[in-house]
Amino acid sequence: MPLFQRILVANRGEIALRVIRTAQEMGIETVAVYSDADRNALHVRRASHAVHIGGSKPAESYLDIGKIIAAARSAGADAIHPGYGFLSENEDFSQACLDHKIEFLGPPPAAILAMGDKVEARKIAQKAGVPLVPGLQEDVDEPRLKAAALQVGYPVMLKAAAGGGGKGIRIVRDESQLLEAFHMARAEAKGAFGDDRVYLEKFVTRPRHVEIQVLADKHGNVVSYGERECSVQRRHQKLVEESPCAALTPAIRKAMGDAACQLARAVGYVGAGTVEFLFSGGRFYFLEMNTRLQVEHPVTEMRFGVDLVREQIRIGAGEKLAPVPEPRGHAIEVRVNAEDPENYFPSLGLITRLSLPGGPGVRLDSALFRGLEVTPFYDSMLAKLVVWGEDRAQAIARCQRALRELRIVGVATSLPVALRTLASDEFQGGDYDTGILERIPKKAAASRRELAMLAAAAARFLVQERAGARSAEATAAASITPRWGLLGRAERLRRTGR
Amino acid sequence: MKYFCKLDGEECEFAIERHGDRLMARRGDRTFQLDLSLIGDGAAFSLLVDGRSYDVMADVQGEKVALQMVGERFQVHVEDERERAAHAVVGQKGGGKQELRAAMPGIVVAVKVAVGDQVAEGQTLVVLEAMKMQNPLAAEAAGKVTRVLCKQGEAVANGALLLELE
Repeated sequence: MPLFQRILVANRGEIALRVIRTAQEMGIETVAVYSDADRNALHVRRASHAVHIGGSKPAESYLDIGKIIAAARSAGADAIHPGYGFLSENEDFSQACLDHKIEFLGPPPAAILAMGDKVEARKIAQKAGVPLVPGLQEDVDEPRLKAAALQVGYPVMLKAAAGGGGKGIRIVRDESQLLEAFHMARAEAKGAFGDDRVYLEKFVTRPRHVEIQVLADKHGNVVSYGERECSVQRRHQKLVEESPCAALTPAIRKAMGDAACQLARAVGYVGAGTVEFLFSGGRFYFLEMNTRLQVEHPVTEMRFGVDLVREQIRIGAGEKLAPVPEPRGHAIEVRVNAEDPENYFPSLGLITRLSLPGGPGVRLDSALFRGLEVTPFYDSMLAKLVVWGEDRAQAIARCQRALRELRIVGVATSLPVALRTLASDEFQGGDYDTGILERIPKKAAASRRELAMLAAAAARFLVQERAGARSAEATAAASITPRWGLLGRAERLRRTGR
Repeated sequence: MKYFCKLDGEECEFAIERHGDRLMARRGDRTFQLDLSLIGDGAAFSLLVDGRSYDVMADVQGEKVALQMVGERFQVHVEDERERAAHAVVGQKGGGKQELRAAMPGIVVAVKVAVGDQVAEGQTLVVLEAMKMQNPLAAEAAGKVTRVLCKQGEAVANGALLLELE
């Protein structure tokens, strides 16, 4: 007997496909939901059932709780997997599933709510004995601001209480900038989240971003699945993740894992979650908890030989946690985004050509296919390349090899930036922090630029040579039978014209 | 044939000629033995440079060549010596006036500007198809379009006046 009869996946793109794959392996039927723009998407084609839920804008489809619940009921789904993004961290969605007796494969509404409010989350973390960045736990107001900043010590950071995604964050180096930054952070917080509460904390210099994967079942058991190092990021968008983190000692790793489990217990967590920490100067500080499966979860899967989606489904069905296997080797994930590598603007267009990597230790999670239209409606991530190696050096070399095999034609991608990062001394040495991307060269190396110009000239030479041969052929044909020759040439123009 | 390649503001000149199955490229006193093989419909190449192998995805649109190789993506502007000479004719200035003339006989496939438009240096003004290749004709200097003397679909002779700018 399968654990569920039919799981609806309330998401799109690679994560929807990821969930569908595991469900299929478990003998569970799947229901895809899709917007107008996603009629031809792979998650629709691979699922056993599919329901159209509305327009291409997320608010008209993937963010509409009513439509998704209705789709689940009409398709006879007994569980919903939210994926990441969209409704995955929405307590109303978790509650709506509860109300309709559909198993939500994620945490209960109260846990989502508690961790979603950053001020509330800090209070709970502190009570659970999880170290915090020195600062205030409550929202600060103008009269207390100066004294609070002085007490914490400059530089300080002002953050939106309801925040996320880097909005409403201000770094203040000294008192002269404090008041203006405070007003700006509040205005930004108000605009982005409709909530102008701001809190203040110490700005940690040269931090690394290290997170702990946790799993919790419905019987009160909580385990951690090691860490992921996610410091290669730009404006809080991660580009490269790896495990283990080169900077952690076994003692710190254990302390971090224990702290993450304590926090999960404190909020009555169920399912897969991630506790994010800043790590600097041998100390770690709680950042936030993400109450969903993370984009970078395959890093953990590769290292532990575990299928986290399978665990989520087992937990949802009321089963107990499996013992945590011993981790082995090193895993690296690279996100491939459709974006201009120089200015990071999204790059839209039609995927006209695709060449995918293979070989030992390589996993590609993507919903890419030739003919896919990259639209402005959704996230720009096209694929995640994940590799496993016996050790870090082998994993890096394998990742570089596989990235060079991956070719995507039709849009610009972040691939060149990822390759330059992996090749940098800073990354290879393992001693890096969240500022690393700013120090990665913006251009290809000079020898490669010369090579590219040579290849371009040679490509033009060949194209011109062929065009010349064709035109000579056409001229010859025209001189014998003028009319037929002309027609033939016109036909050839039509066929080969761009 | 000589090729003038531009990439991110940097210029390289290569002379390429055919020797049987191979191509020979020269830059200054250095030479490169090339073996360039088209794959399928021509959007991919296998390139051997002095025996070193490169897997190349390429899109050649007239002088614009987009490449993916060695894990990087490049947009190279490649002008051959004939085009360079023709472009030199374009935009001969007289009293702040610029003229855009057809660099070769061909068909006007696009007129990208209208009278009164302010154009930037290097901006494509007209696209001319000749020998089945699309040749973008660009403004030599910034200016304002004062006359448009050609239209889409029109066949033009070598040296025909297409646009006037000031």
